[in-house]
This record gives sequence, C-alpha cells and structure tokens, in this order.
Amino acid sequence: MHPDHYRHTELPPSTEYELYFGPNHPGIEGNYALKARLAGDTVVALEADGGYLHRGFEKLMEQRLWIQNIALVPRICVPDPVPMEETYARAVETLGGLEVPERAQWLRMLVLEMSRLTAHLFYFGGHAATVGLYTNMFWGVSDRDRLLDCFEQLTGARVYHMYITPGGVRRDTPPGFLDSLSEVLDYVEGRLPKFDDLFFDNAVLVRRATGTGTMDQAFAIDYGVTGPNLRATGLAHDLRRDYPYLKYAEVEFDVITETAGDAYARTLVRRGEVIESLRILRQVIDKLRSVPGPIRCPLPNPLAWRIPAGDAYTRTESSKGELAYYIVSDGSAKPWRVHVRGPSQMHAVQTLEALCVGARIEDVAQIMFSLDACPPEVDR
Amino acid sequence: MSKSLPTPLEGVFRRVPGVRWRQQAERHLRVELSEAENLPALLALLKGEAGYRHLSAISCVDWPDADEFELVYHLDSYTTQVLISAHIRLPAAPGRYVSVSGLYRPAGFFERDIHEMFGVQFEGALDLRPFILTEWGGPPPMRKSFDTEGYVRDHYQWVDYGPEWLAELEKRGGGIVE
Repeated sequence: MHPDHYRHTELPPSTEYELYFGPNHPGIEGNYALKARLAGDTVVALEADGGYLHRGFEKLMEQRLWIQNIALVPRICVPDPVPMEETYARAVETLGGLEVPERAQWLRMLVLEMSRLTAHLFYFGGHAATVGLYTNMFWGVSDRDRLLDCFEQLTGARVYHMYITPGGVRRDTPPGFLDSLSEVLDYVEGRLPKFDDLFFDNAVLVRRATGTGTMDQAFAIDYGVTGPNLRATGLAHDLRRDYPYLKYAEVEFDVITETAGDAYARTLVRRGEVIESLRILRQVIDKLRSVPGPIRCPLPNPLAWRIPAGDAYTRTESSKGELAYYIVSDGSAKPWRVHVRGPSQMHAVQTLEALCVGARIEDVAQIMFSLDACPPEVDR
Repeated sequence: MSKSLPTPLEGVFRRVPGVRWRQQAERHLRVELSEAENLPALLALLKGEAGYRHLSAISCVDWPDADEFELVYHLDSYTTQVLISAHIRLPAAPGRYVSVSGLYRPAGFFERDIHEMFGVQFEGALDLRPFILTEWGGPPPMRKSFDTEGYVRDHYQWVDYGPEWLAELEKRGGGIVE
C-alpha cells in the first residue's frame, strides 16, 4: 500500500497490535508483505498482501507472438525459471501437435534438474538465513553459482535462459560441457556432508525448525499444498513419477517423503531431492553421450506461426510443487489466454496465513521460506 | 473419443445432467457442462465419491464475441490419477457465479484472482478483496475489452527526461560528470 493511503485510526485499548512485515524482508524470496496481528510476540492473525511484483505477464503474453513469449515465461519465477519454459513449451506443443526429438527431451530434463538443484541450494541458503545461520546462506548461494556457470556455458545466460523453445531446445551442448557439469555435480555431492555439519544437523536449525509451521496430510490436501511441502506430510505424490513427462519414466529416482510436516521435515525432503536430482542428472548425462539427433523439430517462420485453436493444461513438478499452464488458442499468431498456476499461489497466501497463527514473530520468515513460497509466481 | 472411464467416474458423470466428456490427452478428461449450475454438484460427487481432493486451478477465459466467460475447473485425484478439466460458460453480464470454496479451499485464491482480473462475482466466496491490484481503480484488466496501450495513452503523459548533467555530457561527448 502506498504511504499516502495509510490512515491513522483510533482503536479501543488492547494488548494486541498490528505489525507490517515487508514488502522488503531478507527472509522473503522477493517483495511480499504480511500484515500480522500480534499479542506480545505471538501471531494472532496474519494477512498476506501481494502485488508488489505484478508485471501483468498473462496480459502481456496475449499481445506477443507464440515464439516471443519464450522470453517472458522464465521471468515469472526467479529462483526456478526452467519449469516455466518447459510447461509453456509443452502446452504449445500439445496444441500445435509438435513432436519433440529424443535428444531435446533429454536436454530439457538436464536443465530442469539443474534448475531444481539451483533452487534447492538457494532454499538451503534462504532457510538458513531465516534462523540466523548466515554462513550457510553464503554457501547455498555460492554453490548455486557453480551451477549458474554451467547454465551460462550451455545457454549463454545465467538466470533467464530462454533455452527451451516449443519443439525442442535452442542449442546443443558445447564441447566438454558434460564433463564440466559432472565435475560440478561431484562438487555439490561432496558439499552435502559439510551442509549436514553446519546446517541440517545444526542444533539451532533442529530446535527452531522442529515443530514450526506444522501441517498434517489432511491440512495439506485441503489447502492445495503440492510438491516437497506435500511430501513432507507423508504423501508420495510427484508429477515426475505419477504423470511422467519427457523421459522421466525412463530414469530411476525415488520420491522423498517425511512425515512430520514441519519446517524441518520440509528442509529434509529438499535435501533428499538434491541427492535424487544428482542421480537423475547422471543418468541424463550418460544418455546425452549416446543419443544422437536433432535438438528441435522443424518450425515454421516464427513471425507467421499460427497454432491450431484449442486448449491445453500442462503440469510440471517444479522445485516448489505443481506448476501448470492453461493455454487457449483461437488459431491466431498469439495466445488467446495464458493462465499460470504457480505452486506458491497456494503456499504463500492461504496456507501461510493459517500456519503462522500461533507462531512467534521470529518464525514467520522461517515458515514462509520453509514453504519455498515465491512471490513473483503469485503476482505474475 | 475413448470409451473407457475409471469406474467411479462413469457413475458420477451419469448422475449429473448435461455432462459431456471426452479424452483430451493421455489421462486428461475434458468435461463440458451444458448447465453451469450443475457444476457444484459435479464437484461434490467427484470429491466425495471419486477421490478428487485436489483442485489444481480455476482458469477464466473471456469470450467477448459470445458475451461469455468460460470457467475451467482443473481437478486431480491422488488415487485415480486422471486429470479432469470441467468447463462451464457464464453470460458476461452480470458475470455472477457461486463459490466452490466450501468444497475446495484453494478455490478461495483463484476466485479472488478471477474477481480481480475479470470482474466475475462469486457468491459465498471466502474473500474477494483486491489482492494484487490493491490500488487499481480501472476496469478489470484481463478482460479483452481492456486496452493496455489505450489506458496508458489516456492516463499518463509523456515526460521528456532531459537533465542538465546529461546535456553537458552529450556536449562533451562522454566522460564523467563532477
């Protein structure tokens, strides 16, 4: 809310008070505000206030050509942009009847899992910072940077790669890329014991995250919680396994679950997913050494490219949960409607508001981060 | 069109009048309801009898030529594992529908969003206060009738930005301003 719109109001005497939390807060992945009602330092009620990162992507995409939107979609979620590209591209392919070549499918899985790794490392850093473990914050961000180097080598960009295009990917692996990526994966794996020492087994984290922001499975399903947050309540649901897309049916990986449903369980699920992502990535790298082929199907002139009329709903398991695009085409050169369903739309509003009640004010940022709530995904 | 349906779905679809379904993609059913008011009954049956406990999203599409809004309810079941997209059409005027947030709590977010962006009114919704466009006084911006560029032309003035330091810099042909 703009400062000019604040109104001074006289309220009856009370032990409760209101506290504005955000829109800038170090514990939040982007600008987002929370209006907390407190008694002492206990949250009595909490109200989420979004819109600080609203850029009108859905409207913009209706005014851009199908191919131009590739430049817009990754920007919807900063920490984990690749699933946005994949979900958009898969919806366009479904509508247009495009067949993605095999090598391109493996390359897409490669960048999807690399993106999951970067997002989870970012999460470790962010969650650590909300409980005061700043060394881990730097570790998470700097280890993520090594993967961003790989992204730069492969796609030319570090964060917004615009690598996945409808019908395939933009370029093939440069010489030596698979070896240098393997080295980075070994490095990340070697770092996990150090993360265990300083973060996952740290008494500060264990004592502050255990029992914080707890939800049971019935609550999670009721509130539409998906992804690692849902798996932390014991439900083994993962779109990669249950609705396999690309080549996920051909790789081996486990769906990681925990049962406690608190902030600590959510962090442990993500720790397990880092190991599973490394496992998937190594299988993908092996495949990419032998699978030949084109990296995209032939596309018409992108400036005169029309997609047959129809609608498609495609879903991807992003690092945060179920990411979906509902795309409607009227047969013209631009989408008629693009609806982005980000997992954080469920996690950052109703779920967060409910989980924070009864929590202490110093845990609010931790609860928000433990849900991996991403405001740009809410605002679009 | 595929003829086979998971067992609980067949019974559910038969009990709601005006339901037409077809296979849209692998494990994705497209359901169309000829009468919009039958949708809450369909959702209640899907949730109660077919295990559809997850409302993935509600999408809204504006069809100005038909003067209609299309609402699409995407539902998933953790047991059946067949995605369902249920489509209904509403007249754009008055653009009213009933809330399903009593059945599916996530509907609260999507209905608030659709109300804000398309101006559809949901009776019995949890919360329809503005969320993203808190200080927006204009028409619902996701409607096709909302012209982005026209709005900018009408509401904002072009301001030439020409500070002195920039003019000085251009005169010198570059460098650093003291």
